[in-house]
Amino acid sequence: MSYRRLIFAAVAILVLFTLLASGCSRKVVRPTPGPQPPGLGGPSAGGPVMEQDLQVVQANLKPVYFNYDQYILSPEALAAVQYNAEILRRAPQMAVLLEGHCDERGTAEYNLALGERRARSVAEYLTTLGVANRISTVSYGSELPVDPGHNEEAWAKNRRVHMRVSN
Amino acid sequence: MAHIIMPRQPGATPLKDRTEYGLRGTSFRYRAKFLFTACVSLLLMCSATAPVHGKLVIDLNNPNLAKMPIAIPDFASDHAAAPLAKELTNILRNDLYMTGLFHIVDSVPQGVSISEEQTDFQVLTESGFQALIRGKILLQGDGLTFEARLYDTALQKMELGKRFTGRLNDRRSIVHRFADRVMETLTGVPGCFSTRIAFVGAGQDREIYSMDYDGHNLGRLTQIGTIVLSPEWAPDGRSLIFTAYLKGNPDLWSLDLASRTQRLISGRQGLNASARYSPRGDRIALSLTDKGIPKIFTITPEGNIIKRLTNGRGNDISPTWSPDGSTIAYVSDRAGTPQIYVISSNGGPSTRLTFETNYNTDPDWSPRGDLLAFTSRIEGRFQICTIRTDGTDFRILTGEGSNMGPAWSPDGRLIAFSSNRGGRERIFVMNARGEIQVPVTSTAGKAPAWSSHGTR
Repeated sequence: MSYRRLIFAAVAILVLFTLLASGCSRKVVRPTPGPQPPGLGGPSAGGPVMEQDLQVVQANLKPVYFNYDQYILSPEALAAVQYNAEILRRAPQMAVLLEGHCDERGTAEYNLALGERRARSVAEYLTTLGVANRISTVSYGSELPVDPGHNEEAWAKNRRVHMRVSN
Repeated sequence: MAHIIMPRQPGATPLKDRTEYGLRGTSFRYRAKFLFTACVSLLLMCSATAPVHGKLVIDLNNPNLAKMPIAIPDFASDHAAAPLAKELTNILRNDLYMTGLFHIVDSVPQGVSISEEQTDFQVLTESGFQALIRGKILLQGDGLTFEARLYDTALQKMELGKRFTGRLNDRRSIVHRFADRVMETLTGVPGCFSTRIAFVGAGQDREIYSMDYDGHNLGRLTQIGTIVLSPEWAPDGRSLIFTAYLKGNPDLWSLDLASRTQRLISGRQGLNASARYSPRGDRIALSLTDKGIPKIFTITPEGNIIKRLTNGRGNDISPTWSPDGSTIAYVSDRAGTPQIYVISSNGGPSTRLTFETNYNTDPDWSPRGDLLAFTSRIEGRFQICTIRTDGTDFRILTGEGSNMGPAWSPDGRLIAFSSNRGGRERIFVMNARGEIQVPVTSTAGKAPAWSSHGTR
């Protein structure tokens, strides 16, 4: 399993390097916060990831965050989707479920619609980016906050589309 | 306990004149203040409307509607049942109090007789009362007999007399049934005190619960274990519909209350959300995801699509039917912010109704048809508001905490909603003008739905 992780990590780094070199989107190339995959010796052979390592792909996908009351993708959200698209493109056999969420402020039913629309916004952009994975959406409205707090910090984390991959 | 009622307001219409006007059947208003000194020196203010055409009525169309002074002394009983009699009297007092239509006085002035043999109606009338409710109970083992009468004090006439028998455990519903008849006698519309409210738990679990309108007889209806949203009673009161993620998708389910079995109604990909029965029960309006966008549809109670009602790029959700079933109000953010629109229930063009704030959701059409209650965001918090169906007369009914999900009682006198005032989200009930707002659940709850029947 660690061998698979190594391969995947190498591919991920290569993806980042490619994006950096292309210069098409500076926001995309900002290093991911959080721990770097271990055991990286440098770029190795590219190409599609054949191993279906769900956990590795899942761990590398970023949440896509939204502004209050909004389902339009912000520049930061566009960058996050682009980042995720590169990962998904190398695991085209995986299906991806886009889970739309809202923060607790707002009424449950409208938030359900808003979450649906956020997931839809991400789905449409993924399609535009040429991602071939099977994409589906589900809205949880404001029912499943990732942070139970009642403050700006928590709300910002909860307004998100979470990508869940499966084989 | 010296109870004295005396006029306080200088220049108030002399009380005997009021009686004479009332007896002549002339409609007029008067105001009077009374100082009600008990051992606690309770100060009361009464306003009253004289009987119209000699009959004791509450004219709900009167914009200057004043509270009707009504005496409800403790029901009579034998000595052993006195605490029970007091409990039952308080149920009736609370029912009538919640409407905001009455000025309720618990006892009559000292020395005034209200016994069956001798009732001093004239003294009561001169003291400012328009009505008297007198009751008595008889408890024999588990068997309860409750007898109650409503009197017009000016006419010295019994307007309503009822006798109920039942078990001790049914005592609350017995009193509620009498209170329903009192409202029917006075307003022409039966009260809602025998009806139930369903809601979604907001604490340990998110199951559907139901309770009496005043929070008593609480019971859990479901054991689903997933997110549950938007419960709604079928018009016959025998089932509830709701949205739940039993299969991972927000699907529309029906719960049969007799068998407690669940049945899938609409499991289309995407939302099957905010479903509301038409008043006749022959259609369900709801939001379905069409090409990625939530839109308003009507379906049959079995789940077959009848018609797609809305189009365009906006998110459309939360439909509510007019009482005659001809029109649907719903929420759309097609103009950039969520606002309330109305459309024929057969489709056609939509008309925007709300413009006041940039967030108006959760509409619920009043049973009388004249108002929409809804949730509006005002200064960052959520408040229950009403607006006339022509878009005028925007009123804010709540102010404390955040308040959501208004649901009218079937008689249009009360509104249930959820509020986080006091810390956690609970179900509250208020009168239609918002003057009286009380929590009816101690446990956390949201998304109240009001039944039109006294379902158990």
